[in-house]
Amino acid sequence: MATVLIYSDKASMALELLTAAREVGAAAVKAVTINDNAAAQDLVGAGAEVFAIDNDAINLADTAAVASALAQAIEQLGTDVVFLSSNRRGKEVAGRLAQIIQAGCLTDVTALQSNGDQIECQRNALGGATVATQTITEAKKVIAIRPRTFEAAAAGSAGSLNDLSVEAKPSAVKLVEVRSKAGDSVDIEAAEILVVVGQGMESQDDLPLAQELAKKLGGEVACSKPVATDKKWLSEERIVGLSGKKCKPQLALLFGISGQVQFTVGIRDARVIASINTDENASMNQMSDYIMTADLKQVLADLNKAL
Amino acid sequence: MNIVVALKQVPDLQQIRLRNRQPVLDDVPLTLGNIDKNALEAAVALKEAQGGNVIALSAGDENIEDTIKEALAAGADEAFLVADDQLQGAESSWIATVLAEAVKKIDQVDLLLFGEGSADNYSGQVGSRVAEILGWPQVAYAINIEVNGSTAAVTRSLEDCDEIVEVSLPAVITVLSDINEARIPSVTQILKAGKKPKEVLELDDLDVELPDGSPVETISNLAPDSQRKKVVVKTVDELLQALAAEGVIRR
Amino acid sequence: MDFNLTKEQLMIQQMAREFAEKYIEPVAEQIDRENVIPEDIIKGLAELDLFGIPYSEEYGGADGGYDGYVLAMEQLARASGGVAMTLSAHSLALSAISVFGTEDQKKEYMTPCCKGEKIASFAFTEPATGSDPKQLTTTAVKDGDHYIINGTKRFISNANWPGVIVVFAVDDQTNKPSGFLVEKWCDGYSISEPWDKIGMHGGQLLDVYLKDVRVPVENMLGGPSMGYPILQLGISFGKVGVSSTALGGILAAYDEGVRYSKEKMHRDAPIAKFQSIQLKVADLAIKYEAARWLTYRLGMLANNVKDPRQFAREAALTKTFVCDTMCDVARISMDIHGSYGLMNDYKIARIYKDAIIGPQIEGVADMQRMIVAGLTLAD
Repeated sequence: MATVLIYSDKASMALELLTAAREVGAAAVKAVTINDNAAAQDLVGAGAEVFAIDNDAINLADTAAVASALAQAIEQLGTDVVFLSSNRRGKEVAGRLAQIIQAGCLTDVTALQSNGDQIECQRNALGGATVATQTITEAKKVIAIRPRTFEAAAAGSAGSLNDLSVEAKPSAVKLVEVRSKAGDSVDIEAAEILVVVGQGMESQDDLPLAQELAKKLGGEVACSKPVATDKKWLSEERIVGLSGKKCKPQLALLFGISGQVQFTVGIRDARVIASINTDENASMNQMSDYIMTADLKQVLADLNKAL
Repeated sequence: MNIVVALKQVPDLQQIRLRNRQPVLDDVPLTLGNIDKNALEAAVALKEAQGGNVIALSAGDENIEDTIKEALAAGADEAFLVADDQLQGAESSWIATVLAEAVKKIDQVDLLLFGEGSADNYSGQVGSRVAEILGWPQVAYAINIEVNGSTAAVTRSLEDCDEIVEVSLPAVITVLSDINEARIPSVTQILKAGKKPKEVLELDDLDVELPDGSPVETISNLAPDSQRKKVVVKTVDELLQALAAEGVIRR
Repeated sequence: MDFNLTKEQLMIQQMAREFAEKYIEPVAEQIDRENVIPEDIIKGLAELDLFGIPYSEEYGGADGGYDGYVLAMEQLARASGGVAMTLSAHSLALSAISVFGTEDQKKEYMTPCCKGEKIASFAFTEPATGSDPKQLTTTAVKDGDHYIINGTKRFISNANWPGVIVVFAVDDQTNKPSGFLVEKWCDGYSISEPWDKIGMHGGQLLDVYLKDVRVPVENMLGGPSMGYPILQLGISFGKVGVSSTALGGILAAYDEGVRYSKEKMHRDAPIAKFQSIQLKVADLAIKYEAARWLTYRLGMLANNVKDPRQFAREAALTKTFVCDTMCDVARISMDIHGSYGLMNDYKIARIYKDAIIGPQIEGVADMQRMIVAGLTLAD
């Protein structure tokens, strides 16, 4: 398969893209970094052939500038296939870059498989109701892959570090200020175990039981959207689902989750799902490994006692 | 100030049924995407604060003339439509080309707003593509927009931080649903929607020729096959035993 | 014949549903408990033009037709029967004024009501009379260019809110009932405490006391001795509101029954797996669809009333069927709930109490049957 160019604004995600490119059998991988020495070093350490762009005139907050720099890199390096990380920054760049180089583009890709010259990509469609398998028929392809789809490439034999020079046009976007997110800074995507609370939980007074359980299991508490946005029991950082985080924990313990698709799309990649509900017919049960129909509060209390 | 809001006609996702893992879209009513309505609300709020004109822009099949009434009821002043059966569900790059050509036909656009992604496909690339075709700067994932003369101060919400950027106009901005709560249109607004000015073009009017064969091919589109065990457990003890056997907890 | 709703109709339905789910549903229990509709809800309804859907824009209305009115009312009533009942009684008065009022009367009295700044009432019933206009005891005595009205009106909706009230009184000039437009809370106007009725809370019923209330002669509605025709046609329009209120109740009972049948477990299976429950679910669906299309049809008919007698028949038969059906459906849904349905924690308990109201208001069910029979046999 062709040479793959990879880029992410986050070093950890760039390392995941390195794994992705290797796993689909790329003939070669060329990793581009922009004004990020540390990332370049990390990638070199993982054996990548790195092309570092160092140009202060490129402002990462200016998507047009980033897309233009990448397009020049593609031109200079002669690659047709680009992997980006499908975080917000990456998704924003993907469309613009694809338009410059006249590529077909897929974002939010959750699985990749090479099939001859084609790369078959899976992604959610119809608001998460379905999973579509799609390929880009254009020779030039921009594929944005969802974070954590692949393991980050481990450090190994050193790759190479090369300088790449690109031109930057005057920017129409000026970065004024960066503010860290207020409040909760939990990363539920990183948790191996999630205790997820849904609307089936009747009282906010039961929430500490879920928190206690999460603590005992070494996991985090997460929730469906209404629990954060309507009831405001938990911060929006903890929302699982289409408009929240897509998580792939080892274990998801669901309490009072009915199983609407807007939610399940964020948890269906968990290795083991256990669903505890008062409603035996909850559609979540059809998507669970272990199903328990019982009073949520009691189950939480019993689990806390047993663990 | 002319604010154009691009909206996509999609099947009402709440009403899609699955049969043998296949989505059944027949007879599912068409509607505008939810996040698109947040983009529209942002435009209407800007207009209310600073004056201007809100134009709802959409490309879709002939039903778009009816569906766009939702936007006209929710505060758009006029509609600019490209109606062609080839456009319903068309690939993102085609839609981007069509929308960009349409924007060129609208006088003096200061802002072009999108939802962060369409309700059905959610690829989030159309806004970026249109910005590139028009040669405009862009800011995605906005949770706040303030226009100050020839620039806009936009808060872009990233996963780990918020960025406040100043972007010169005209620009493309895509919004997150968190930016506002779209208001509910009144009966009068609903009934007047159909009477608002509307320009309907066909593809031929735009000098756009869609290439043969889509740049993206869909091999399959099925509800996920959940191969879950679906084991019913009766007691907390049974549950713990099962989870321990899976190796996901230690007892 | 096309049973598809237009885009506008769908949008009105969707809008009312969204408002009902977002704002009314969360306080529906509170409304039931306190028998008061929060100001916020009234304000929200007003902002969305829900006080004046079918009336002309000239008078502050939305020109949305009775079809739009029925669709919106159904969704509002699904969340709270009391909220819908308030709008229904309000519309009864406004419909009467819109048909019989002069240009000036419509401008002055309908406009603030259509905008939801005020809420209208319709006052015929008295302590000693049911639906019989011949037994009216409230009097209107002419005094120069004014009438002086005295009497007591019973079970009057919205009597506590400011706005116009259509008062029926025996006109001393003709000795027959005439209608008068009176501003509530004018000199001589007072009300009782709200009646402690069994359901449809929030839609308060009060007695109204009129003591030497002076109204200018030009406030007579529809001319001398027009009391009876106003009453007849007004009540027919009122039945559009009562029918759609009941329809919303049916929908709520239906939703609750289906949901409960899927949630309630018996021996490790939801009760929906039992045939006896399935038969009840089928009846809920059948009865809802029948009531729905009959009510929608009445909305369309109300848009263009050519023959008030024929319209009275259609309104009477629709109201009778739909209100009776609400009782049936509430009972079926209650049966699905079993003893849990008797607990006020369950929405069906409220719906059940609301259901009993419909057949007894705006003309009791048997009187409606008499109207239907009379007009059917006369043809």
